[in-house]
Amino acid sequence: MSRVRSLGLLLALAAPLAAQAPSRVKVESFTLPNGLKVHVVEDHSSQVVAVDLWYDVGSRNERAGRTGFAHLFEHMMFQGSAHVQKAEHGQLVERAGGQLNGSTQPDRTNYYEVLPSNRLNLALWLEADRMRSLAVTEENLRNQQEAVKEERRLRFDNQPYFGAIIDSLPTMFDAGTCFAYAHSIIGSMDDLNAAKVADVKAFFDLYYTPNNATLVVVGDVQPAQVRQLVTQYFGGIPRGATPPAVACAAQAATGREAVKRITDANANLPAVVTTYRVVPPAHADYPALELLSTIIGSGESSRLNRTLVREAKVAVAAQTLFNPFGPMRGAGVFGALVIGNQGVTADSLRGQLAAQLRVAAEGITAAELTKAKNNWRASTIFGRQTALATAEAVHYATMFLGSPEAINSDAARYEAVTLADLRRVAATYLRPDNSLTIVIVPEAK
Amino acid sequence: MRPVLLAAARTAAGLVLAVPLAAQQVPTTPPAPMPLTPAQFPPFAETVLANGMRLIVVASQKQPVVSLTLAVPAGAFYDAAGKAGTAEMVAGLLTKGAGDRTAEQIAATIEGVGGSLSASAGADFLTVSAAVLGNDRPLAFSLVADAVLRPTFPASEIELLRTQTLSALALAKSQPEAIAQRAFARGLYGDHPYGRAADEASVKAITRDDLVAFHQARVRPNQALLVVAGAIDTLEARQLAEQAFGAWGGVAGAAPVTRPAPQRARSEILLVHRPGSVQSNIIVGNTTWMATDARGYALTIANQILGGASDSRLFQILREQKGWTYGAYSGVDRRRGLGAFSATAEVRTEVTDSALVELLAQVRRMGAEAPPADEFERQRQTLVGRFPLQVETADAVAAQVATARLLGLANDYVQTYRQRLAAVTAAQAQAAARQGMRADGALIVVVGDAAKVAERLRAIAPLTVVDVDGKPLATEDLGPRAIALDLDRARLAPVSDSFAVLVQGNTFGYQVGALERDGDGWVYRERSQLATIASQTTEVRMGADLAMRAVTQSGRLQGQEMRLSVAYAGGTASGEGVTPGPAGMAPVKYDGAAVPAGSVDDNAVLALLPYLRWAAGAKLQLSVFESGKGVAQVRTFEVVGEETVTVPMGTVETFRVQMSGADQPAVYWIEKAAAHRVIKFGPGTQPIEFARVR
Repeated sequence: MSRVRSLGLLLALAAPLAAQAPSRVKVESFTLPNGLKVHVVEDHSSQVVAVDLWYDVGSRNERAGRTGFAHLFEHMMFQGSAHVQKAEHGQLVERAGGQLNGSTQPDRTNYYEVLPSNRLNLALWLEADRMRSLAVTEENLRNQQEAVKEERRLRFDNQPYFGAIIDSLPTMFDAGTCFAYAHSIIGSMDDLNAAKVADVKAFFDLYYTPNNATLVVVGDVQPAQVRQLVTQYFGGIPRGATPPAVACAAQAATGREAVKRITDANANLPAVVTTYRVVPPAHADYPALELLSTIIGSGESSRLNRTLVREAKVAVAAQTLFNPFGPMRGAGVFGALVIGNQGVTADSLRGQLAAQLRVAAEGITAAELTKAKNNWRASTIFGRQTALATAEAVHYATMFLGSPEAINSDAARYEAVTLADLRRVAATYLRPDNSLTIVIVPEAK
Repeated sequence: MRPVLLAAARTAAGLVLAVPLAAQQVPTTPPAPMPLTPAQFPPFAETVLANGMRLIVVASQKQPVVSLTLAVPAGAFYDAAGKAGTAEMVAGLLTKGAGDRTAEQIAATIEGVGGSLSASAGADFLTVSAAVLGNDRPLAFSLVADAVLRPTFPASEIELLRTQTLSALALAKSQPEAIAQRAFARGLYGDHPYGRAADEASVKAITRDDLVAFHQARVRPNQALLVVAGAIDTLEARQLAEQAFGAWGGVAGAAPVTRPAPQRARSEILLVHRPGSVQSNIIVGNTTWMATDARGYALTIANQILGGASDSRLFQILREQKGWTYGAYSGVDRRRGLGAFSATAEVRTEVTDSALVELLAQVRRMGAEAPPADEFERQRQTLVGRFPLQVETADAVAAQVATARLLGLANDYVQTYRQRLAAVTAAQAQAAARQGMRADGALIVVVGDAAKVAERLRAIAPLTVVDVDGKPLATEDLGPRAIALDLDRARLAPVSDSFAVLVQGNTFGYQVGALERDGDGWVYRERSQLATIASQTTEVRMGADLAMRAVTQSGRLQGQEMRLSVAYAGGTASGEGVTPGPAGMAPVKYDGAAVPAGSVDDNAVLALLPYLRWAAGAKLQLSVFESGKGVAQVRTFEVVGEETVTVPMGTVETFRVQMSGADQPAVYWIEKAAAHRVIKFGPGTQPIEFARVR
């Protein structure tokens, strides 16, 4: 330890410690007449550009009977468009030395390309071509229905716990007043089978319009050139109707504790998930809730891992889940997942988890809060090293915090959290009558 | 498609005036690349400390993060004979107790500042890495220095890591890709250290003294490289490095003199028998050159054309045109010593020979004809064009510089790489392929069902068949065939036995079996239970001569139902049920599957083993019908030694018997005395065994 101190001393003499914050991000914004919102971050530290297009559509926009549709549609976006053959999108990007992907969350669907910066035009052209002229055919739809069903089987139905969690966790929200968040992203097999070409076309016309999209370009670019290319490629795409607002009434405490028991054929150890309804990212309590989640259940030295896994040895794994399916503008999920050891019953596990959540919420130390802030700061900064990660952060600030500028101001909200805040949010939200507990029991053998 | 007319009408109605003229001119083909100022490789600083450690600093103030990577030539290459796996275990233990911190304290310390710390060992190098926020850079230097200079190798952590390593090795034996890679490395490099790999025996043989000695001898500063990247200036990095590593002394000895890798004048096939395999994993390849060889640039492009990506020849032909495989690729493995070229494909069993012929033809073609200009240009551009993404972050830059230095490449390698790649001609790529991709001097490894593919592969190149442990198999070991069931029937009598299922010595379940008279014949009934994971009841009915009649089986595995019912009649068997396979439970159904004379149902093997004619050195064979799959196979039971074994029943003198020929090998301990009871058995590689209770 003495060596650490002497090194610290050396540093203190050599260079005053700089403030540990992400570098400030300068965002330039404009909107095309057809409603496409564009944010540009100029960064010449490397010859890379990230083109990241978010559509303001996700599983929250789905209606009953068509769950899983937003994600199914994401697959359709790689099936070709007027001037791009099926699978050609990927080939063009890879041959240009780039990478690409897409993903679906409750509130948004994203598509991105990362390329050498002189291929900015290729990425914009590809995104514009499919926004203008996606190839929606019966054959493509059938293909992708099968692909998504296989994905569901592989990733969820054939895995212990996952199937139970993705289908049951959303039921913490009331389907009557908030269907938006009361169903899974992957959707049900029946609903996936029910999708028709007409549904795909209608979905495209309603949501895949320039006025429902936000484009973020980060990297080695000149904003004027981005504006010129975006105008050239996207400018002629017609504005669409304004999609209907998503209804989700505030999901207040119900006055009773909900418990669901599920028998899981894939599991051979019991598991318990407890979730609480919390608030969206823009809410003042959100930073305290996120830090509380880190303290209770993130990492080897977290509360749950120390008490349940290492000391009591009742669990093989224990961690918190904070918005596990992605952030939401109309809701929030604070949860904990514990997988029991051999010989531990699901009910005893549930009791121990509840006890830990109670104790943890009351007895957080200043050192734990400091550690959680360090973790938040570090993961934010580590997550800002590439053009793509910065583009995603600009999108997050814009969609969930209301402005691209929030990318620079969000950190202050986390630094300001106090122990009193942690106690207050724990008392407000981590209440049994605001919770759903899912008890997963291995199928009797 | 979207209604084009409607779109046009909308545009005309509302927007045409608002949109600048440029918006009307959207190209209908992908736009050409825009100009790009040729980027220089990012700057970095390089110095050597007094103790010989080389320091490279890639300073970047982009974000306040700092990463450290320390590499020393202490990879698996330096493992002592019989102790393969030492380097990997040393690396695994460096962060599990070092300086005055325990494993838990190290984890808490690095997590407390939101950083990360890890260590690993590859073929040539052992590496320790840390990443932290800029303010915590002294801590990162301190933790890495502790790990490298002052590891404590606690006994409990050694045993934990040994158990994890053995489990991983056991798992690898069930994975065809891993079996193939291992067999390929062994065959390609022979007695050269790159041909060695950790196995159960070597991992068990490694002692704490070995680990300490390896660390002492190899983890020395004279050939070490420390790379620091991120928000730190060169001067400070040097001060911190001297502070943390200045006291590190000693000199690692020269690399051991190695045996040369085998040279092949013609191709040969090593076929690893995996009975019942529905796929064949193919690897074709040869050793190439030292990393410093100038032909490397041309070979890199040739490889990209052949199989570097999904629009390369192998993928396009074997997958897109022929539909034989999900993927087919090739790669060039660059090492500090002798490198290698390899091409791989996983194909359906039925097309194994066709796929291999095509694969070899494509490899041969690379050397026989220059690639067409457009294809050559496209693939060269793909490689050159990737450069910006490869140097996007300080970490990525640091990794490239480190690789160049560690492999001993030219000083300006990273700066001139793209120009040298761009200067390669199609003729040079062809020449490099002719020398570096030797279709007619290749080692060909195929992992698959030798009974189905051996004969057709023999027509392609000379063939050796081995089992998954590398032991040679004769042709008669492969296929199902009639083997007289030579049992000592005089000793047959109703009997019951009981085994405890032990996992690392702890009881996790039981298995009880009973052989009883059943009318004119016999019936063997067995029940087993493994914790809450699996349970099973089996009934095998046999005639007076022990010919198989019927099997009924039911149970659960990890919550899923399994069941099987089989009827034997007239040299065939018909079965139906749901049984576990590599991808979970799968229905099985077969009608009139051939059952060679003398076959025993695999569920009855345990009951009949006592009646085989055991003796020291005996090598006995049984024709076994695996009724859960509907396939026949020959299992070989070889007495490989004698051991005194203690089980719950007592201490017994036994023959140690190795079984091969099934999907997974197994070891049985058979009582030496005349009853020849099975005293213990298990997979032999995992910490699980069945030990006799009575």
